[in-house]
Formats: sequence, structure tokens, C-alpha cells
Amino acid sequence: MLIEVGHFALILALIISVVLIVIPSIGLYQNKTSLAQLAKPLVWAQGFWIAVAFFVLMSAFLSNDFSVKYVADNSNTQLPLLFKASAVWGSHEGSLLLWVFVLSLWTVAVSIFSKRIPSDLINQTLVVLGAISFGFLLFLLFTSNPFERLMMSPLEGRELNPLLQDFGLAVHPPMLYMGYVGLAIPFAFVLSALIRGRLDSTWIRWTRPWALVSWSFLTVGITLGSWWAYYELGWGGWWFWDPVENASFMPWLVATALVHSLSVSEKRGAFKQWTVLLAIGGFSLSLLGTFLVRSGVLTSVHAFATDPTRGLFILIFLFVVIGGSLVLYTWRSSLLQRSNPFSLLSRETGLLINNILLVTAMLSVLLGTLYPLILDTLNLGKISVGAPYFNAVFVPIMIPGVIALAVFPYVRWKKDSLSRVFNLLKFEWICVALLTFLSWVFITDNIFVLIAVGLFIWVVNHVLVLFIKRMRAKAKLSMSFIGMIIAHLGIAIFVLGATVTTQLGIEKDIKMNVGETQTIAGYDFIFNGVSPHSKENYSGFIGNISVFKNTKKVAQLSPEKRYYQTGMPMTEASIDPSITRDLYVALGEGLGGGAWSVRIYYKPLVRWIWLGGLMIALGALFAAIDRRYFLRIKL
Amino acid sequence: MILAWQFIIMIALSSAFFAWFLFRPISQSLSGDESNIAINQQRQDELKSDVNQDLIADDQYRVAESEIINTLATEIRDEKKESIAIKPLSWTLAIILILSIFSLGIYSQLAPKMIPSSQSLSESMSMSDSIEKLQNFIEKNPDDFQALKMLGLAQIGIGNVNESIKAFESAYLINSKDIDLLLQFSSAIAASQDGKFDGKSKVLIDEALSLDPQSIQVLYFSGIVSAHEGNLNGAIEFWEKALYLMSNDHPDRNIIEEALSTILNLQVK
Repeated sequence: MLIEVGHFALILALIISVVLIVIPSIGLYQNKTSLAQLAKPLVWAQGFWIAVAFFVLMSAFLSNDFSVKYVADNSNTQLPLLFKASAVWGSHEGSLLLWVFVLSLWTVAVSIFSKRIPSDLINQTLVVLGAISFGFLLFLLFTSNPFERLMMSPLEGRELNPLLQDFGLAVHPPMLYMGYVGLAIPFAFVLSALIRGRLDSTWIRWTRPWALVSWSFLTVGITLGSWWAYYELGWGGWWFWDPVENASFMPWLVATALVHSLSVSEKRGAFKQWTVLLAIGGFSLSLLGTFLVRSGVLTSVHAFATDPTRGLFILIFLFVVIGGSLVLYTWRSSLLQRSNPFSLLSRETGLLINNILLVTAMLSVLLGTLYPLILDTLNLGKISVGAPYFNAVFVPIMIPGVIALAVFPYVRWKKDSLSRVFNLLKFEWICVALLTFLSWVFITDNIFVLIAVGLFIWVVNHVLVLFIKRMRAKAKLSMSFIGMIIAHLGIAIFVLGATVTTQLGIEKDIKMNVGETQTIAGYDFIFNGVSPHSKENYSGFIGNISVFKNTKKVAQLSPEKRYYQTGMPMTEASIDPSITRDLYVALGEGLGGGAWSVRIYYKPLVRWIWLGGLMIALGALFAAIDRRYFLRIKL
Repeated sequence: MILAWQFIIMIALSSAFFAWFLFRPISQSLSGDESNIAINQQRQDELKSDVNQDLIADDQYRVAESEIINTLATEIRDEKKESIAIKPLSWTLAIILILSIFSLGIYSQLAPKMIPSSQSLSESMSMSDSIEKLQNFIEKNPDDFQALKMLGLAQIGIGNVNESIKAFESAYLINSKDIDLLLQFSSAIAASQDGKFDGKSKVLIDEALSLDPQSIQVLYFSGIVSAHEGNLNGAIEFWEKALYLMSNDHPDRNIIEEALSTILNLQVK
């Protein structure tokens, strides 16, 4: 009966979302405050019932209740407890329930932390969020119901995808969804401002902290996904330009532009049109990404044909959200015309360049992601757009962005002169040129690495000098400023890590006999053999490899080859991590006579990629707790 | 429809929660004007701080200051309207009605016809217990297609092929267009004929193929029928089509690939 309580809780949440759309709207338009103020309790009740449904499904996984089809399809009695809990979002239906659950958490958070926001704005925002959850609950219940039952419970369930039987599944999707779904909040604020026809200082002010927090979560989610792919997939890569990765990266690019655009709208009253369109675009892309991934169109264009109801619903929902928002934008565009002017050389111009570059980069990724799908759908052939396209198009667009992000914080608001900026920074520029030259002489002659080192020195130098100048001037450092410093340093660290590991990383795919030694980047890898190894959910082999440097032992690595119930072989890499380099070993196939194929990687500065990502996220969190967002207004 | 006391409690709890908010006095809240004034005052303070830190030139500071004042002037609406009182009882009743009618109505559409046992594995029912339960259910609901189909599957699961055929036959009379039933029914008949897909068994597969020539399962079974008839090229054609339609990670891919390679080996020999 507990399962049916969860099922009914989800239905009740759906009906509450209808009440949330209708009754507070009547209150807002007929000036009946009691009805408008019902928005918050409705949101809390809806959040409560969605949480009940979510935890009921989790308890079904934990108690091996195979009468639930979704549990029977994705779990079995041998699955370890952590993976049983994370299997809740391991497939389509459960991940959509997680989507709805995370949306309800965000909505409840907005309703609680809204004491400084005018009641009309917050109630209207909650109505918009209620409409979004209505769409998702409808989709969940009528096309992807996780509580669907089997008339006869099987004695044993099937298996969770072995790739997902990992700690990464427990943390990566919830973080990513916090970011994806979090973009619904700026979207809802913008939409409610458009509906009310009040595109004033208030909605801009209160949109930014939510945009920053959701952007921070999205950054952490993408970073964790990259780290997970690196250690779990066994090929040592950290980014593959896979359509699923791109689906999360596109909203990130737009959200990055949004948080910068909001800072100009907030401080100088400019870029309002940009801000509105970026908020709509960010959430629309997160919807597009989620549905592209979950509807199956990315893995097979035939997925719509196999489940036409789901595909049709997706298309209608996307059409309503994107089309409806753009119609509303057009209707209110006259209110967005007014913008405070700025000159060609000003900080506003820098942020405008930032917006243009980020949106262009997003469009290049969108084109590369959708083009093969469109061709396939039109029966014009199957093509694959991979890393060469994305690296050739994306990287050149972003290099000017990295250069600009270091300089423009020195440029004055509204108007500045080239001579002032040049005089201010000429010593820094000489210093950067000198250090880059010394890097060329003493460190590397690889042109890509040299560019990355140059960019790293460029950004770090400018950012640290800016920080020191502010400290010397005894200016009060705001959290926004500290956040910007951390995030921009994070970008420099990411750029250097990504380039160095890609350009200078070494990979060897070799056959190794017991006792054989292979030397890579000065490290001696000695293969001591392989022994059988098993746990409750898999069996397989574990390798034993000792690593020496200058006769001193530096690591003992134990790569695994696992065979799960489905018989699917899985490679579990063994990594010796450090801040300067990773030593990464993956076991291939047994080649007879005790010999095995082994993949050995030397990955310099690979950890800098994720360190940079986490610093960007931390910077956003600092900016989100700036004192201006704790403004006290006396009633 | 399964109407449990738990559902009534859930609706009642929700309704009581909303009613409490409808009946209590309206709490004082911030207006748009108050918010815009406070924010623009703060912007002016930040602007002063910016000019002190040389983040904006003196002449531009004055322009920016006047922009803030102008912005505030356009944002102030001075629209203080008295809130209209409501009748909380009528709204509470309306909410109770909406919650009850729609939630129970949707649940009646989505709920399973029979609640299966939710016991954990260690307490799970034996197959014969399940069959008995199904038979009792079918006695009360003789036209339940899904239950008859499940009974057929359960009977074949414990080796009662003839009982299984009877259950499938009854289900077939109710719905002869269900692909899954046609395939299961055909398999049960084949099982009663030493695995031969002859006669009615073959007819059922052909019916399934005419209903959905793109179904992977139907193509797989059609391949088996062709192979039984000695038509190896036909079998290869069906299985190659099935593989073409399958995604690379489809769980049944290996089965079809294995069958195909067996047939190809046979052809070589």
C-alpha cells in the first residue's frame, strides 16, 4: 500500500499545482490578497507530497519491492545499498521524479527566502514555478510513471547499468539537476516581471542571487560529471564533446552570460533585453538538454517512433515554454527599450563582449549537437560531429573572452579612455610578455601549451594585481568582488590544466607480461600479475602494478576488470592522483600466458581542470551572498 | 478503484493546511514601490563607493546618479489598492472539492486494477500462490485482459502449458491485436508442439507481423518461424532488420546477434 501512497502523493502534487496556478492568480488580478498569499502554503504542500513520493520510491528500491516495474527494471537484491538508493535516478522515470523533486526544493527555497521581495512579485513567481511543475508532473504521471506496477512481482530484479554502479551516480545527477532546474528560478522571475509588466529594479535585484546559486550548482554538476567520466570510463578523458555533455554545457554557457548580464542590469540599468532573453534561453536550453537526453533522441532518432506519446508531449511542452515566453517578451518589449547609455570603451562594453562570445560559443555547440540529429531525421545520412569540430570552433571563440575577462575589471563604468587603461596596466603587460617568453625558453615550445601558459599568466597577473590594488586602497572588499577574483582565477587554472593535460599527456596501450616494466614520463610501471576478485554485485580480475621513480616506489595501482550480471565487462581504472600529475592505469584483456593488455596514462595537471571548475562554483556562491542581497527594508 | 483511508487522510491534511492560511488574517507585505526605493537608494550608495574607488569617472558619476533618480521615477507607481476580502469558507470548500474529485479521479485512471504484493523478496509469494490469487481475481473480473495474459504467463512459468494456452485463448478473444499476447500465445502453442512454430502458432506470428512489421520482438519470432521452415535467408532478413532497428545497447541485441551468427555459420557449412 505504501507504493500507492507515493503514487497518490504525486497525483495530489499535480492537483495542488493546478490550484497553485489558478487561485493565487485570481488573488493577484482581483486584488484578493488572501488568495494571492495562498501561493506559499500551496508550494510547501506540493513540495511535501513530492518529497513523500520520492522517498517512497527510494524505500521501494531499498526493500527490493519488485512489484514496482521501475524497481524491477533497475535494481536487484545483490546491488549494494548506496547504489540501490542512487538507482532511484538511474533511469528515465526516476530521473524525471528527481527533476520534479529538485524543482519543488528550489520553489520551497524561493518561498522561504523571500522576505525582502514584494509579495506580488514573489506570488507571481511561485505561480510560474507551479506551472512548470504542473507540466513536469503531467509528463511524469501520464508518460513516465515510476510507480507503474507489475501484476506479478518477479523473484529478482534486472540490473542497474554497471556504469552507474558507482559513487559518481550518487552525487553527479543531483548536483547537475540542482543547476539545470535552478535555472527555472531566474526564468520564473523574468516571466513574472513580464506578466506583471513591471520590469523594474526589484526583479533584477532578486533574480541575480538565484541565478548565481543555480549556476554554481550547474558548474559543480558538470565538473563532477567530467571527473566521474575520467575515472569510471577507463579511457582517461575528461571531456568528449558527447551530445549528453553538450546538453549540460549549453545552459551553462548561457547562464554564465546571464549572471554577468544581470550584474550590469543591476548596477547600471542596462542590458535588460539581454537579461530577459538569457534567462529564457538558459531555462529553455536546460529543458531541451534534459529532454534530448531523456527522450532517447540523442542515442537514436527512432526513439520518438517507439514512444510517440512521450515524444509528442516533449515537443508540446517545449513549444509552450519557449513559444509562450517569447510571445510574452514580444508583448512587453516596449518596456525593455529604455537602457542607460555607455561608451565604446567601458566596463559595460566588456560585459557585452562577454555575452556575445558566450552566446556565439553556445550556438556553435548547439549546431554541432543538433546537426547530426537533423540530418538523421531527414534521412540525409548519419554523420558524427566530434572533438575536432568543437575544438576548432569553440576554443578560438573563447580565447578573446579569457583575455577580456582579465582586463575589463580595470575599465571604468560608463566611459573610460584607452590611454588611462594602458598607463594603468602597461607594467602588467610587460610582465606577462616577459614571463611567457621565459616559459617558451625554459618550459615548453608547444604552441598550444605556450598560449595556455600565456593566458594563465595574463589572467592570474591581472586578477592578483587588481586584488592587491583594492587591498592597498583599503577599499571594503565585497563578496561579489571576492567571488569574481576566485571565479576568474578558476578559469585560468582550468585553461592551463585542460591544455597541458591534452597536449602533454602520454598514453600507452601495451601488452605486459608478469614482471615486465614499462617506462612512461620517467615512471617505471612494473606489472606483477592479475588475480581473481569479486564482490556481491560483480566478479572479475584485479591487477597489481607497482610504480617507481628513480628506484623509489611512488604508487601501488590495482586496476580491475569487472563482469556484472548482464555479462557486460567494465574497466575500473586505478589512479595515483596528485596536484601536478595523475598516473592512470586501466586493465584491458587477458592475452594468455599471464600477459594482459594494459593502458597506462600520464596526465599532467589534470586535477587543475576540476579544481578550476570548483573555484568557479565557489566564486559564484561568494557573489550570491553579497551584502546587497541582505538589504533590510522597513515596512 | 482502490480507495484507501490513507488517501482521504492525505486530502484532508492538505485541505486543513490551506484552510488555516485562508482563515488567518492577511500578513503585512512589502510593496513594489517600497522595494524599488530601497534598492535605488542602495544603488546610489554603491555608486558613491565606486567613485571613491575610481571605478567611475567624476563626470560619469553625476550622469549615473541622475540615471538612478530617473529610473526610480519611472518605477514608482503609487498604486495602493485596498485588498478585497474573501469568504474563506467557500474557497476552502472549493479547494477540498478540487483536490478530492481530481486527485481521486486521476488515481482511478492510473492505479493498477489489482494491487500486487509489495512484500520484500524474503517474503515473496510462491508462483502457485500468485496463480491462485490471479484466478480468484479473474473469477470476479472475467473480462480483464491483462489478468488473463498474466495468468497465461504464470501457468507457462510452472510448466502448465495447456492451462496457459486456455488463459491466452480467453485473452485473445478479448483483444486479438495485442502484439505481446500474440507472441506469448504463439510460444505457448509451440511449446505444446515440441517447439515447432506450425499451424496456429505460425498464424499468430504472421498476425503480429502484419500488425507491427517494425517490432523487434515480432521480427525475432518471424525469423525463428522462417528458420523452422528451413528458409534461412528469410530468417537472416528478419534478424538483420531487427538489429538495424535496435539501439546498440539494447539488452536483447546479443540474443539476436547470436542467432544470426548461428544461421550464417549453418549457411557456410
